[in-house]
Amino acid sequence: MARVEFRNVRKQFDDQNKQTFTAVAGSDFVINDKEFVVFVGPSGCGKTTSLRMIAGLEQQTSGDIVIGERIVNNLHPKDRDIAMVFQDYALYPHMTIRENLSFGLKNLKKPKAYIEQKVQEAASILGLDDMLERKPRELSGGQRQRVALGRAIVRDPQVFLFDEPLSNLDAKLRIQMRVELGELHKRLGATIVYVTHDQVEAMTLGERIVVMNKGVIQQVASPTELYANPRNMFVAGFIGSPAMNFIDARVEEERIRIDGAEFVLSQDAAEGLKSYNGREIILGIRPEHIYGEDFAPGVSTEHQMQAHIKVVEHLGSENLVYFRIGSRTVTAKVHPETKAYSNLSKQFIFDLNKARYFDPATEERIDW
Amino acid sequence: MTTIAPNRVRSSAGRLWREYGWAYLFILAPVLLFLVFTLYPVVSALIMSFQQYNIMNSTWIGFDNYERLFQDATFWKSMRNTVIFTVCTVPVNIIITFVLSYLIYQMKTKWQTFFKATLYLPAVASGVTISIVWLAIFDPTNVGLLNRFLEWFGLDPVIWLGQSKTALFSLILMNWLGSHGAGIILYLASMGGVPKSLYEAADIDHASGWTKFTRITWPLLKPTTLYLLVTGVITSFQVFISVYMMTQGGPNFATTTIAYLIYQTAFQFYEFGLASAQSFVLAFLIILVSVIQFKYFSSDVEY
Ligand SMILES: Nc1ncnc2c1ncn2[C@@H]1O[C@H](COP(=O)(O)OP(=O)(O)O)[C@@H](O)[C@H]1O
Ligand SMILES: [Mg+2]
Repeated sequence: MARVEFRNVRKQFDDQNKQTFTAVAGSDFVINDKEFVVFVGPSGCGKTTSLRMIAGLEQQTSGDIVIGERIVNNLHPKDRDIAMVFQDYALYPHMTIRENLSFGLKNLKKPKAYIEQKVQEAASILGLDDMLERKPRELSGGQRQRVALGRAIVRDPQVFLFDEPLSNLDAKLRIQMRVELGELHKRLGATIVYVTHDQVEAMTLGERIVVMNKGVIQQVASPTELYANPRNMFVAGFIGSPAMNFIDARVEEERIRIDGAEFVLSQDAAEGLKSYNGREIILGIRPEHIYGEDFAPGVSTEHQMQAHIKVVEHLGSENLVYFRIGSRTVTAKVHPETKAYSNLSKQFIFDLNKARYFDPATEERIDW
Repeated sequence: MTTIAPNRVRSSAGRLWREYGWAYLFILAPVLLFLVFTLYPVVSALIMSFQQYNIMNSTWIGFDNYERLFQDATFWKSMRNTVIFTVCTVPVNIIITFVLSYLIYQMKTKWQTFFKATLYLPAVASGVTISIVWLAIFDPTNVGLLNRFLEWFGLDPVIWLGQSKTALFSLILMNWLGSHGAGIILYLASMGGVPKSLYEAADIDHASGWTKFTRITWPLLKPTTLYLLVTGVITSFQVFISVYMMTQGGPNFATTTIAYLIYQTAFQFYEFGLASAQSFVLAFLIILVSVIQFKYFSSDVEY
C-alpha cells in the first residue's frame, strides 16, 4: 500500500547570488510498504531535502515522487497522508500536550470521542498520560520528543517521516529512544523514512539504508550488506566505527605489495585484480580484521607484516592499536589480551578474505 | 583581631570606591535627572493638588480640588471624550497595524525593507507637522482634500473640525491613518520569531490558512498585541497635540480630552492646584486600566 518511490528526483536551490545549487541530484529508489528505511550521510548531503520533498514541504525541481499508488508531485502536504517528526519537534508552544496531539484530528473534523480515544492511545503507548494538560515548555527534551512522535501516531498516516528526531537528546536517552522507535515500528506496522547523520543509528534502526553524499545516493542496501560490501570508498569509510582502513597497495601478478610487505592473493582475488596488474589500488580492511600475531584464533596467519605501533587505546572490551603503513595511519581493533605497546614494533595479521579493493581513480569497489 | 577589623572595613570601603567609584558617578547622572525632572515635579504636583495654588502663598485646602473636579461637567465630558477616543482608536490601530504587518511579512526582503521604512517615516515627523498636514486635509471648504474627495461622489463638503458632530470623529480618523510604523516593526520582529516549522507541522496537520492564523499566528503574537494595547491605551489617554493643534478642544468641548483640559486649567486659567488634581486622577486611571489589561489579557499569553 504505502510504498514511496523516487523517480529521478532532482532538487536545486537558487542562492542569493543566483547560483543554482543541487541539493539532490537525480535520486532513484523504492521504499517498500511497512519498511523502515534510513537516509544517512554527512551534514548537508540532502537528507532533509529528500524527506521534505516526500512530505511536500519542498517541491522537486524535476522527477516524480510516488506515495502508495499515486504520483504526488503537486499534492499539498495534507493530502499526502504522511506525518512528520521535525528535528526541532515543532510543538505548538501555546497549546497543551492534549491540544498538540489532537490538533491534526480536529482539523480533519473527526468526532470528539474518536479524537479522545486516539489521544489516550498514543499517550499510553508513549507514557505521556500524566502530561496531557501540560505545555511543551514544562516537559523535558525526551518527553517533547515523545509528544512529537505522538502527534504523528494519532493520525495513522501511510508514511512516517522522521528528521533526526534523536539528535537533540543526550546519549543515554538516545539509545533508549532508539530501542523504543524500533519497537514502535513493529507495533504500528507502518512505512518509516528516517533521516540521521549518525551511522550507528542508521545501522541499528534501518531495515535498509540509503547512503547519501553531496546530493548523490551512494548505495541502498541492508545494514549487513552495506557493512560487508560497500560499493565505494565513501560508503566503506562512512559506515562502521572506527572507520575502514584504506591502504595504498600495488598489484604484482598474483600478489599485492604493501609498503615493503608482499601478500599472495587468493585465487579469486588474483583473478579479479588481473586487469590492475602493475597498477596502484587501494586495499580497504576493517579494523577488526587486523589481528596481533599473538592473539588471532582461527585466522589464517598467511598474511603478516611488521609495523611500528604509535598509540594503543584500551577500551576494556577491546584495544585500538594505531600503526603506520607508508604515510597512512592504520587502526586495528584487537582483543584486549593482545600484547601491544606504543613505540614498539609488532607483527600483525591481515585477514585478506575480508578485505575489499578499490580503484583509486573512481573510488569504486573492484568487483569480481 | 578587634584592632584590625576597622582597618579592614576602611580599606575595603576604599577599595569599593576605587573599583566602583566611576560606576556610581555614572549612575548619579541619571538619578539626579530623575530626581530633579521627574520625582520633584510629581511630588510637588501631588502637594499642589491639595492646595489653592499661588506663586507667593499657597493655602492647604485638603480634598477641595478633587471635589470640585468631580462636580465639574467639563471634566466628565472630557473623560467621556477621552474614553471614546481610546476605545475607537486603539483596537482599530492594532488591527490596522497587524494586517499591514501580516501583508508585509509575506513580501520579499527588499519590499519588506521598503515598506518598513515608508511606514515608519511618520513616526520621525513631529506631531505638529502632521497636524498641519491634516488641517489641510480637513479644510472645511472644498479646497480640503477630504471634501474634494466627497465632491467626486457628489457629496456636500463637511465642516470636519468645526462642528460637534464630526470633530471628535475627525481626530479619530486622523489617528487611524497615523503612524503604525513602530507597531509594524514590533509585529514583524515577533512574526519572524515564530519558527517556520510550526507552520509546516500545521500544513501536515491539515490546518487551513484561517486555522493557522487563529490557532498559531495570533496566539503566538499575543505578547506583542498586549504590549501595543497597553502602551496604546496609555498614549491615547494622554492625547494632546492633535487636539491642541486642530480644535483647541472645541467646538463646545466636543474634543476636549483630559490632557487638554489639564493644559487649559493650568495654563489658561492658572488653576495649578485643580490641574494637579486632574493629573492625578488621570494617572490613577491609567494605572488602573493598565493593571486590568495585564490581569485580563496576560493569563493565557505564552512568553
Ligand atoms: N531553502 C534552501 N535554500 C538554499 N539552499 C538550501 C535550502 N535548503 C537546503 N539547502 C542546501 O541544500 C543542501 C542540503 O541540505 P539538507 O537537505 O538540509 O542537508 P542534510 O543532509 O544535512 O539534511 C545544503 O547544502 C543546504 O545548504
Ligand atoms: Mg538535515
